[in-house]
Amino acid sequence: MSLQIIVNGLATGSVYALIATGFSLIFNVLKFSNFSHGALMTLSAFSGYFVAAQSGLGLVPTILVAVVTGALVALAGEFVAFRRITLNNSSPVYFFVSSITLGTMFEGIITVKVGANFYNYPQFFQNSTIKFGGVVISTSDLLMFFCSVITLLILAYILQKTRQGRGLRSVSFDRDTASLMGINVTRTIQFTFIVSGALAGLAGVFLGINYTLYPTLGSLVVKGFIASVIGGLGSLTGAIIGAVLLGFMETILISLVGSGYTPVFTFLLMLVFLLVRPSGIAGSNIQEKA
Amino acid sequence: MTLYLSILTQILITVVAVCGVYVLTGLTGMFSLGQAAFMAVGSYASGILVVKCGFPFWLACILAVLIAVVIGYLVGFPTVRLRRDYISLVTLGFGEAITALLNRATKLTGGASGFIGIPRKTTFLLALVSAIAAIAIVSWFKTSKYGRQCIAVRGDELAAKAMGINVPKIKMNAFLLSVAVTAFSGCLYAFFITYVDPTIFGWKKSADWVIMVFFGGVNSLTGSVVGAFILSGLPEVLRSLDQYRSIIYAILVLLIINFKPSGIFGEWELSPRNLKALGEKLAKRSRKEEKTDGAA
Amino acid sequence: MALLEVKNISKSFGGLKAIQDFSLEAEAGEIHGIIGPNGAGKTTIFNVISGVYTADEGSVTLKGKDITKMEQYLITREGMGRTFQNIRLFKGLTVLENVLCAFDPQSKYGIVGGLLPTPKRLSEEKRGREICEQYLELVGMADYKNERPENLAYGKQRRVEIARALTCHPKVLLLDEPAAGLNPTEVSELTDLIQRLSVDIGFAILLIEHRLELVMSISHKIHVQNFGKTIAVGTPDEVRQNPEVIEAYLGKEE
Repeated sequence: MSLQIIVNGLATGSVYALIATGFSLIFNVLKFSNFSHGALMTLSAFSGYFVAAQSGLGLVPTILVAVVTGALVALAGEFVAFRRITLNNSSPVYFFVSSITLGTMFEGIITVKVGANFYNYPQFFQNSTIKFGGVVISTSDLLMFFCSVITLLILAYILQKTRQGRGLRSVSFDRDTASLMGINVTRTIQFTFIVSGALAGLAGVFLGINYTLYPTLGSLVVKGFIASVIGGLGSLTGAIIGAVLLGFMETILISLVGSGYTPVFTFLLMLVFLLVRPSGIAGSNIQEKA
Repeated sequence: MTLYLSILTQILITVVAVCGVYVLTGLTGMFSLGQAAFMAVGSYASGILVVKCGFPFWLACILAVLIAVVIGYLVGFPTVRLRRDYISLVTLGFGEAITALLNRATKLTGGASGFIGIPRKTTFLLALVSAIAAIAIVSWFKTSKYGRQCIAVRGDELAAKAMGINVPKIKMNAFLLSVAVTAFSGCLYAFFITYVDPTIFGWKKSADWVIMVFFGGVNSLTGSVVGAFILSGLPEVLRSLDQYRSIIYAILVLLIINFKPSGIFGEWELSPRNLKALGEKLAKRSRKEEKTDGAA
Repeated sequence: MALLEVKNISKSFGGLKAIQDFSLEAEAGEIHGIIGPNGAGKTTIFNVISGVYTADEGSVTLKGKDITKMEQYLITREGMGRTFQNIRLFKGLTVLENVLCAFDPQSKYGIVGGLLPTPKRLSEEKRGREICEQYLELVGMADYKNERPENLAYGKQRRVEIARALTCHPKVLLLDEPAAGLNPTEVSELTDLIQRLSVDIGFAILLIEHRLELVMSISHKIHVQNFGKTIAVGTPDEVRQNPEVIEAYLGKEE
């Protein structure tokens, strides 16, 4: 494997890891697949564009605006779409419908604002590539990689060492018991949505830099889903490993079959993976309580 | 008049597709976010068979449905044994894969610029007959042993297994029936619009169908059909609001989920017996009102 | 060879040994009670026997056939019926339809009959309804067949669950705390029902129960579990006099 492929694979994988962890966090705590995650990424990426980037404020403010938007919108989304069904202990199908509905709503709002147009973030860097030995690295890839690693490290710290993080883990383990132990479950769920939304915002900006900004940008969330399935639904570490693996697979596939057919092959690989090892790399298989 | 007929035909085609979604989502509690991709398979396969291979329309439809069912089997096989989340995630990935394939296989599909020159075969009458047939078949399925087992699986997989129900098989049956019905609606669609392109089969369309099923009542086929009628007819009536369509849908559904989670119809089905019961109930109520009026 | 043979089964979850070395032999017509404090692994025994979990060690044999590693729904079809501690009837179906669900896997019409009302389907549905109504009659629930189970009292829901399990035509019936949440009248009615079924149908019944009076009065053999281990086996009288049982289950006498 050439060094170039490793570099590109890591850069792609790190963005997928941000998507996959944001998705997995909510899966862990509420045990449902949040299909509004993709549209939330787009929404935050666009808000970063309109509030900061368009007025020439540079990269850091753009990211900040997107992250804050993501967190706040996720929090609001939790309130309008998921609060009642969580409290009523409703059947999981309602979470599906709610999250799908929320997703179409976000996408609808974006479409009303921007139509079907494409937008581009302004050029954030003076030098778009850096040569390092024989390897060409784009500045944005480098930035994405380091930002993602730092973000994931902070996330790991929060989950392992802080009170909120421990609360989150215990709620995801057993909501009723956590509640009996005096953990404020509603607060913890809100906290989870804030973190997940912030991750969506960051991932959204990166995707926007990598591609262009368009209303259905969020469909790239499917990469995060595939990564979580490969990694093992419900495992954060698995999601990150799955994301990096997917990044490598895609980079290699693009050089073999071209970018057009790559989604077809990654999908087939995922099917094969599910056949061979349905519990994913992490081997976590959430069993329905008997 | 022709405009109305054309709108009605499109609505009826959507009704056929939603009947398929009802089997999967309403009866069995599974969500396919790649259901529209199966519609795409139906559209493209039948279109290609007629235009490029010279097959008669009806044979092309049958073959297209069979192709979709075979693909559905391959997609479903690894996933029906697992938690239900997997079928949603995997079908979503399937949708993306199909879109990519349709965009790239230019020679066969016309690529991003679409597949053109499909003859117009779908008439209002054909759409109407198809919709009635789809509703009839799905409601027979619902009251059969398969439908009952689907409802059991939706409610409690573990208890279903303890009753001797082969849960993966039941899920697979439901998935394949829903794929077949949706693929057939794709055939009708292609031969009505005479033109298909990859963008119209994205996850948004699948999501719209799920929303229609829930709007009407997740446990009621009647509700799903009415939901499909209202929600796919509404934007035709309110053309000016077209860009707000998905937002309005979303708000409606969020209201329903928060305040009337069983949907408009709940579990109520349109049948002679239920209609009679409803009539009696209403008669009783009006009699009661008369009495109170008289007393006052 | 006994109808049901459970040999030295063990099951752990992570570090927790839920069952250690549990054995049991049951013949047709027998009632076996399994008792023990909460967390003694009683329900796990049922879950292993009925195939929800696979045993780490040991074997389960039904009518001479090894069912240890079989899939749960196939074990049911071999002749294993069960009820659940926290009633698990299907929502969205009536009482009769709930019971019919247990008949459906035995119903003999194919996918064509699933989509169209063929004569075969109509006759099979009719046969199913008759069988299920018989079982509902047997547990005294025939009058409620068109009700929704969630609208019924707890004791009635339990009876529906038993009728549903009977429709699987079990050789062995597992009843997990059938008297939980019932009032004294309902408990005595249930006791009668279990005894009657055991005599009339002649299957082996395994019974997990907290109410000692119920278990002691109808069981032929009692297995006492504590922390995953069997601490005593014997007739109700033998068990009642076993000092270890008295200590574990009734508390140490001062």
